[in-house]
Amino acid sequence: MAILSVEHSDQLYWLGRYSERVYTTIKEFAKRFDSMIELREHDYDEYCKAQDIPNIYSSKDDFIKRYCFDESDPNSIHANLIRAYDNAVVLREEIGSETLAYIQLAIYAMNKAKSSDAPLIQLQRVVDNIVAFWGMADDSIDSESVRSLIKLGKRVERIDLYARMNMGHSELKRELKRLNTRIGRTGLRYSSVKLAHLNYLAEMENTPKDMIIEEIESLFDEDINTLDGK
Amino acid sequence: MNKEGMNSYSDTVNELLARYGVRFGIYKNGTFKEQLFPLDIIPRKIGQKEVEYLEKGLKQRVMALNEFIKDIYGEKKIIRNNVIPEEFVYMGSGYLAQCEGVCPAKEIYTHISGIDLVQAKDGQWFVLEDNLRIPSGASYPMIARDICRKSSPAIFEKNAIYENRNYAKMLRKAMDHVNVGGHTVILTPGRYNAAYFEHSYLAEHTGAHLVTGNELVVENDHLYFVDYSGRKEKVGAVYRRISDEYLDPMNFNSESVIGIPHIYDIYRKGNVSLMNAPGNGVADDKGIYYFVPEMISYYLDEEPILHNAPTYLPFYEKDMKYVIENFDDLVLKDVAEAGGYGVVFGQGMTKDEKERFISMLKKEPRRFIAQEVIDFRDIDIFEDGEKVPRKADLRAFVLMAEEPMVWKSGLTRFSRNPDSFIVNSSQGGGFKDTWVLENDLSPTIL
Repeated sequence: MAILSVEHSDQLYWLGRYSERVYTTIKEFAKRFDSMIELREHDYDEYCKAQDIPNIYSSKDDFIKRYCFDESDPNSIHANLIRAYDNAVVLREEIGSETLAYIQLAIYAMNKAKSSDAPLIQLQRVVDNIVAFWGMADDSIDSESVRSLIKLGKRVERIDLYARMNMGHSELKRELKRLNTRIGRTGLRYSSVKLAHLNYLAEMENTPKDMIIEEIESLFDEDINTLDGK
Repeated sequence: MNKEGMNSYSDTVNELLARYGVRFGIYKNGTFKEQLFPLDIIPRKIGQKEVEYLEKGLKQRVMALNEFIKDIYGEKKIIRNNVIPEEFVYMGSGYLAQCEGVCPAKEIYTHISGIDLVQAKDGQWFVLEDNLRIPSGASYPMIARDICRKSSPAIFEKNAIYENRNYAKMLRKAMDHVNVGGHTVILTPGRYNAAYFEHSYLAEHTGAHLVTGNELVVENDHLYFVDYSGRKEKVGAVYRRISDEYLDPMNFNSESVIGIPHIYDIYRKGNVSLMNAPGNGVADDKGIYYFVPEMISYYLDEEPILHNAPTYLPFYEKDMKYVIENFDDLVLKDVAEAGGYGVVFGQGMTKDEKERFISMLKKEPRRFIAQEVIDFRDIDIFEDGEKVPRKADLRAFVLMAEEPMVWKSGLTRFSRNPDSFIVNSSQGGGFKDTWVLENDLSPTIL
């Protein structure tokens, strides 16, 4: 097991979460963008609701501009990518320069997308770089706990987002299965009761979204007495 | 290489620099910004004979400086024998009373030294400054070489150039040599430090752990790294990139939040090595620089191989007179400043400014040194598709293990401004790869 400080383990976990958030939100945005071009201009209302983010946007164009590219909007894709970078840049020693470079390239692609008339093309490059980052991390990082912490963050974020966006039951089950496999390899303490509850909730046909979000977000509750898994 | 080839090479190199985030941080108007450190594609070339000369001179200089620090915090023979006036030692900001009587592992103080040199038009090299606290810059030529080799392998195929990516191995050797048992860590002030890229790059390439102060703890007279499962791992050597005053709030600046309480106490007991040793500032003060040739003769009984730039200390009456009479031909440096700050050229001042400066000089003669302006040899840089001459210096790195080791490369920094002698990155300068040639033949490309 790698020697990792609390700070770095936290940063690895959040690197996984933010990279996943960028990846999934771009993919979702791309679906909405297509229908917003000429069919359903106000599709972004629903999108904001599903994402549980405040709809502060005055029009379709304002939504595209600010939700994607406004660094000062904490819910924007760009702000989340910067958070991924902020976590990655302090982990060069754990993840390596080659892996880190893909997050850097995603930032450049995001900056290019900002000034493009066809942002989806450049946003696709952001997605490509995130996928390359995950691939490189998997391929080049020796330490299983380092790899697992990134993957754990990714799984937790995906479950949270899928629940919020009412993704299909089978997708959610698949992600939970992956989480179950991964969580024990991280060395982190977690609540096995909550994990069991999540597994139970995922079996229900009408998955209760709010309960899933609550349980997944408190899986690593700070109260040490509630943590028993290792 | 023709102009088109150089343009394309330059583009590729810059693209890769951006890919790997080769940056340095800078604070402007209280805000931290990271900017790319521009690499010029035309390397500085140093021939074999020249490097042999520099190598001997650098080793000699660093060994004398190491002896000086040991002496100052120990027996103080150099003061007792009136080679250096005591006010230059004790009044300098780099002297730390807390270091009195403390001897580091294997009596090494200067584990990593950065010696700044310039080459005059007649080819003679001059030492401008010794950096013995936390000299930075080695990571840039390392990654630049990697990038240049990828971008134009033909250049390296046709020229016999010493490898410079061995710096990490040399550094690891220096770390292991003084490690008293346990892990080796690189202690960084954090992400918002100007040299953070370097800290993380060197950690990656030496295999040392990059840590901040709050990841280390002193317990039972030893230093430990606390991992995320709560396990404590002993640390035997700390390559600290934090300045002395912030290293330990219990022994130095009590307001430091980036240091490790009591680390200096266990260092004093020999239970951990600190690289470089605290208190080294006593030897790289700009005022002490004047006395380095005397130190070499005193400690090593040898003639200095490398020369200082002709320097005057207004502290001495004779020198003060010379400085006032030749003010226009001199550059004046505030001994407390670094990074190209606190440097003024007599020639550039108005009559009023000169008068004000001279009156300040008379009031605080210890605060300044004056040097003859050395007409550096210009080095070509590639700018807007053309080769143009610019002033450049060379930071040579000397690492200490069983023996001093001189890195066959260095950081060549150049001024972007055609009229400026200031090459510091914080002042907008760029850098070059530094080739040490395995023979004295002229390179065939570039």
